Order: sequence, then structure tokens, then C-alpha cells
Amino acid sequence: MTQDYFSFTEQLFDPSQSASKPEALKGIRVLDLTRVIFGPMIAKWMAMFGAEVIKVEEPEAGDDWRTGTYWGKFWKDSCPYFQALNPNKYFAAIDLKKQKGKDLLKDLVKKSDIVIENYRAGLVEAWGLGYMAMSKINPKIIYISCSGYGQWGPLRYFPSYDLISQSVTGVARMTGFSEDYTYKLPDYYGDFYPAILGVVGLLSAIHHREKTGKGQYIDIAQTESLMRAMHNWTYMNLAGEDLTQTGNFDPTMAPSGIFKSKDGQYVAIAIATNEQFSMLAEAMGSSELAQDPRFSEASQRLLTEHADAINTILEKWARSRTAEEIIGLAREKGFPASALMDDWKLTQDPWRKERGSVVEFEDDMYGKGTWAGPPVSLQKSPGRIKHLTRPIGYHNRYVFKEVLGLSEKDIRELERQHIIGYWDNRVGKRPPSYYDIAEDEMFNYKRDERT
Amino acid sequence: MKCLITNVTKGPESVKKKQQVFSKHMTGKKTQEHLEQFNNLLAEMMSATGAKKGSLDQIRVLEISYANFPGLVCGAMLGEMGATVIKIEPPEGDAAREATYYGRYINGVGLPFVIESRNKLSVTIDFNDEEGIANIKKLAEKADILIDAMKPGHLDELGIGYRQLSPSNKGLIYVSVSPYGHYTKKGEEFRNIPDTDLTAQSESGYPALSGNPKAPEPYNVPVKAGIWAATYMSAAVGVAGILTALIHRDRTGEGQMVDLATYDALCSWPGFSLVWGFTTERPRTRVGNYDWCLFPYGYYKAKDGYVTVSAATDADFRSLIKILGRWDLEDDWRFLFDRIADDPEKLDELEAEMKKEIATHTQEELTQKTLAYGAKAARDPLRSKGFPMVVKTLKPEEVMKEQHWKIRKSFLECEIPDDGTVIIPALPPRMSETPAKMEWLKVKKGEDNEKVAEEYGLKLKKK
Repeated sequence: MTQDYFSFTEQLFDPSQSASKPEALKGIRVLDLTRVIFGPMIAKWMAMFGAEVIKVEEPEAGDDWRTGTYWGKFWKDSCPYFQALNPNKYFAAIDLKKQKGKDLLKDLVKKSDIVIENYRAGLVEAWGLGYMAMSKINPKIIYISCSGYGQWGPLRYFPSYDLISQSVTGVARMTGFSEDYTYKLPDYYGDFYPAILGVVGLLSAIHHREKTGKGQYIDIAQTESLMRAMHNWTYMNLAGEDLTQTGNFDPTMAPSGIFKSKDGQYVAIAIATNEQFSMLAEAMGSSELAQDPRFSEASQRLLTEHADAINTILEKWARSRTAEEIIGLAREKGFPASALMDDWKLTQDPWRKERGSVVEFEDDMYGKGTWAGPPVSLQKSPGRIKHLTRPIGYHNRYVFKEVLGLSEKDIRELERQHIIGYWDNRVGKRPPSYYDIAEDEMFNYKRDERT
Repeated sequence: MKCLITNVTKGPESVKKKQQVFSKHMTGKKTQEHLEQFNNLLAEMMSATGAKKGSLDQIRVLEISYANFPGLVCGAMLGEMGATVIKIEPPEGDAAREATYYGRYINGVGLPFVIESRNKLSVTIDFNDEEGIANIKKLAEKADILIDAMKPGHLDELGIGYRQLSPSNKGLIYVSVSPYGHYTKKGEEFRNIPDTDLTAQSESGYPALSGNPKAPEPYNVPVKAGIWAATYMSAAVGVAGILTALIHRDRTGEGQMVDLATYDALCSWPGFSLVWGFTTERPRTRVGNYDWCLFPYGYYKAKDGYVTVSAATDADFRSLIKILGRWDLEDDWRFLFDRIADDPEKLDELEAEMKKEIATHTQEELTQKTLAYGAKAARDPLRSKGFPMVVKTLKPEEVMKEQHWKIRKSFLECEIPDDGTVIIPALPPRMSETPAKMEWLKVKKGEDNEKVAEEYGLKLKKK
């Protein structure tokens, strides 16, 4: 490697320059009609990379996840999970059960590029707010529906949740040690993975629209997303048997596991290739292992009997070295190993902060916090956090005045008829108790009105 | 090699029979008329005829990857969306071919590699000779996207990195895929460490969240995800990054470098670990079958096997205990905040009751009772009666028999010459104008050398 490669790349990705660089999705307007995790995360990507995302909530109730916090703990009268899922968005609240509310939403659709929804399958169509109706008033609209089973097929109307999708795809049967020691994938993988594939579909549709001017409809399902990440189907067809729980052993890589080191730390080691194996053997001071016919070739090493044997040898070795020593050898020799991180270490991690994937951010309403930044770094149009979430209906004035050109008088009338609304006094929905909303310029947004 | 879509016997008509709905909004004649048109669109989408092209049609991708699975998956997904993807590997082959389940290979190639070879052209080029490098340069000149999933700095050293290629191809989107990324101090110090799913999960803190400290030895340890959770998450994040850069290029003509750290994405996309870290200033303890926000939300043993229960809102919980005939539990556990695992010892009491009751029912009884309840509750004018979700915890082999996936064509069947057929899952976003497609699986090294050499004017040695 030329010595200066990393100093070259450091300039390209300098996080201190991010805020002044252009945004890839600037000028794209997204209507986010979603709740909980799956839908909101799709909109979050758009908002992080510069789209104008208007999250439309039900007055007073809002997104269910505003109150869905762990251990009942709130942070400055807000749910910290909700903060993590919805930064950079504009918060409007419209009662879509009322005809005038529907009309107001349609006015927004006329001026938008994308609609994201995650109601139960078919529901928005039944309300007259689905793709069929919206594409008539805005033919260029890209409309994505997020659901458990997809919008088509006999199971489509069944309700779903992250865990339900893990169970009906069989992911549930993969993690742990046996049927009685099975675990779900934590932190709602059945929402976050489908969400990123939804993002992929949506971005590819924007690209298509940039070229052809055409909008389209996208149906993304939690279940099918998880299936795309599973190798069971291929294996079953080949071997005539199913894959199942294997604890911390990855059956495609031997040796592999999460091992305890001399100093009581957990270290993950997984060997994918023959080359990596000989490097590990060298690091262990047992180069002869790489010559052992049981281990020298992956095809032999992966046979259960041999894999067990080499895992036992590695486990013993790992116990004789500190975690730091093992990682040091992995760096020197070049085999895959990493220490087991946890929530607190991740929050403190200098590497991630330098990357910009973890950011210390100071928000006007909520002050300082540590949040996830963009999970991938773009040199010229990087993602960024601009503000955290806001109470229900906080941006009503801004959105309806700026996007629809309504006057203060129009807005008062909509308020009087309860077509648009705000938070009620429940925690998670209202502004923080220390915050003086009456003085907030955005909430009371004034616009030069020509009338 | 042709790819055939599996078991497409049932068409739209099979869905048209009366379906159970769980919302009062979904009934009534007018609604049915609304839905009719929508159903026609969906039926057309699910029976893709092949006339429509993918959204990345005309986009050329060069995938240079070695022993790097997220790189393979990025290439595959771009290919599924219609891009022309040329996978370049050294003449001895990408070592990613070696990894496979229990030593079972297809034509000598590991399963993960086979699965992620979809729609790619396979080209072998010797990185150690000048002609090889010249060939890659030629290919890169015409590429829209280059995936560099080699050791950080390696292609730069060979003279085919971003800074050498971008001056003559201003629109090039250069994606670097590596465990710790192509910048930062740690990225440089750790550049020798290769990628695997397990080590990526670990560096993202994922196994620290699974398992039960109260389980007996040796089951009381942190537990990794049983699927390649980190590989697939980071690959999809990478593809999303590539497409974001592509939109930037559509609008400005400007290419750029995109950097993906595969040991990071499983932490920074979900991001909940950071929320916990910064609000509580300590790591979570593992809670077994519990969830930190919701209860009940886990696996339970019914009379004849496992079921999954998700009934976390107060209304859902009430309806579940009503179905189970245990209204007496309502008083003590009325609110979600009574039921979440901040005090697992206390929650164990409720868990014991749930386990006991669920064990007296069969899977079928529980599923049918909760569905019937949900359908009835949907007609309630106040919509406050809840809908507990209980499903059978399926084994993947049971999943494959489900008619729903056949109708949706969620699984595709491909022929491999001399080695039967391969079943792979489709890329899920179903798109009305630009459907994703599976066209071929090529697993033979250098299978397309001649074709690509001719098209790009390369001098490639016969393999």
C-alpha cells in the first residue's frame, strides 16, 4: 500500500466537512404515513440524505412508538427510540378519518415525490388514499407500501410484527442452541432489515424516475426480506435436511465461535478460507495444523467431526491468551477476529465517532445526545443529522404555509374543525416540560403573507 | 444457464376467494370496488412477464471482491435490479467459494457464493501481471459503479484505486467494502483483518443482546444471530449508499467514493444500542425470551410445539388473557409498564403463568382463537379490543410449503448444468415498473472471459 492512501481518504471523508457538502436527495419531498419501526426507518434514510420528509401523524395519538419505550423510561419527556427512528423529519398532524383531512393529504401528495405507508395491507386503498387514487392526482408519484406478508397472496391481511415475521420465515428456529434454547434476533431485525431493502427499492425507483419521469408502486414485505437473508432454502434443496440452531458455531466456517479469553473477555473468531486458517495456525504457534489433512482444506475442515475438533483446539488456545493478544495477532497475521462489543462500548467507540456513524449531536430542543449517524459514508453527498424529533403537529404551520401556501386564517379554520391537530398532554407526545413552546419560532411559523 | 421460476401453477384467481379481513374498513361493496383495481395491479406485478426492465438497466458494475461476502451480496443485488455486473476474481478463484455449510458444495462451489452469483458475469484476471491491471483499467473506464471489496488500499497500490480511476471517469461511483473502512486511524491499523459475518456481529455488539444468563452451562453465554445478520445488513446498507450516490450523479453528473464498514452497519443502522448506551451509560443485560419494550413478545411451548406470541399493547394483552381464560391476571399486569423487563425477577411470575396456560392449548387452537378474536374485534366501533398475534413458530422446511410464497414467487429455481437445480429467495421489493429479476447463476470461474474480452476489447488469457 502506498503510504499515503489513508491520508488521501481522510480528506475525502472528513466528518467536520460533512455539514457543508451537498445533499443527494435535496428537493425530494416524502410523505411519511408510517408508524413504529419498519416504515419510519425507510423515511429516516431519505431524511438523512437530504429529502424533505413530512411525517403525517394522527392528532393527539401520533406514532405508537412515541410511547413505546424500554422499561418505561423517557428522555426529556420523549421516547429515545422514537428520537433515533425519526430525526430530520417535519411533524404534521392530520385527521385522515375526516374527508377534509383526506383532501388536505391529497393536496400534499400533489406536491410530493414519494409516499411511504405501513398500514395493514389494502387499508390505504380502502380509504381512498392508496396508490390507485394517488397516482391519478400525481402520476409521477412513487408509492411504497410496507407490510408483513406483502399486498398480494392469501396471507396478506394477516397482521405482522418483527417477531411474527421471524417466526413465519423460520428465522426463529436458527438462533440459539436447541429448540428449548432458541432466541429471537434482538432489536427488531425483522423491521430494520426489511426497512433497508425498502430503501433500496425506493432509491432505485427514484433513479428510474430521474431517467424516465415515471413513478411506480412498490410492495415490500418483512417476511420476504428475511428470506432473502437466509440460506436455508438452498441448503434444504441440496442436502434434503434443514439448517437449525448451532449456537455460536457458523457451519460455513471452521473453526468459528465466540470464545472466552484468558482475561474473561469474549472474542469472536471465524475462519472462512484456507489462507485465513494457515494464518491462524501460525498465530497459535501450531503451523502443523495447516498441514493436518483434517484441517488443511475447507471441505474437510467443515465436516462436523473435524470442525468440532478444531473448535476444541481453538477454544483451549483462546483461554491461554488475553483478548488484546488475540486481536493483536489477528491484525498482524490477517485472520478474522473481533472483541465482543456492547451498548456502552459502542456509544464510546472512538472509531465510529471518527467515521461519523456515531455522532455527538446537540439539538435545539433536546440538547446533547449520542445518536447513530449515517451507516455508510458518502464522500460528496454525505448523510447527516440536522435535528431530532418534535412533538405531534409541531411543524403544522411550516408545512401548510410553505408547501400548500395556506394562510394563518386557513390554518385556524382547520384547527377549529379538528382537521389538523397537536399533542395531548401525554409524555412522549408533548414538548419537554422545560421548553417554552410559545416562544418557538418554528412552531409559530410566520410567513410573509401577501393577502 | 437458464433460470426457471418455480411452481407457478396458481394465478391471481387463487387469491380472489373470500379472505378473512381484520378491519371494518375492508368490508362493504364500495371498498371492494376500490380494491379491485389495486388487485389487478398487484396480480400483474406478481406475474412479471419479462417485458419490463430492472431499474438499473444500462448500469455497468465491476465487482472486485475477495473473501468478502458483503461485497458479493452488493454485486448480486445490483444485478437483480438489472445492472450488468462483472465479477472479477483471480485465476485461482475467489476464496469466498470455500465457505459452505458442513462442507457441502455445488459443482465445487460453496452455497453462499452460489446464492450471491445471481445475474453476474464471471471473469478471471491475474492481478499480478501488467496486462491484467490494464484490463481492469479498461473495464473501469466504462463502469458506472466499482465495488472494491479487497483489503483496504490494495487496489490503490495496484494503480486501480479511486484516485487513479476517477480522473478519467468522473462519473464513477467507487464503493469500498471492508470490515473497518478505508479511512480513520483504526481502519488503517486493522486493514489486515478480513470479513466474516460472526466477527462483524461481534464488533457490532449484536451477540451481547441474545441469550439467557440464567440458562444452564454452556447455554448461558452471549449468542450470535443464527443467520448472516451482519453480512446481509451491511450489504443492503452498502447498496442503499450506492443508489444514493447514483441519484446524486443523475442530478449532477458527479461520481464519488462510498465507504462501507461491514463491522459497523449492524450497529449504526438499527442504532438502538447507542440509545441504551447514552441514556443508561451501561450495557443491557441479556433477558432470554423477554424484550426490553414489550411483553408478551417471545416463544412459548404449546401442547404440540412452539408458538410465537406478540400481544404487547394493553388491549392486545387483555384480549390474550381473555382468550386464555385468565382474566384474573389483569389486575396486577394491566399496563405495559408493569410488564416490561426492568425487573425480570418479578416478570418471571407472569411468564410462568403464561407458559402454563399456553401449554394447555394446541398451536392450532391458539392461532384460530386469536384470529377469530381479531376479526371480531375489528368490527367493534371503538376499535379498542385488541388483536393478540399468535402464530406457529415455523421451521424453514414448513415455510417452503406455504402457498402464499408460491403465489408471490418468493422462491426461484435455477438449473445448474450437471448438478440439478438450486433454489434461491427473490429480492423482495416488488416494483410495478422496474421489477427485480433473476436471470442466471454462473458459478464457473471465468465463464464469461471471452464474451467480456470481446465486448471491451481486452486481451484475456484462455483460462
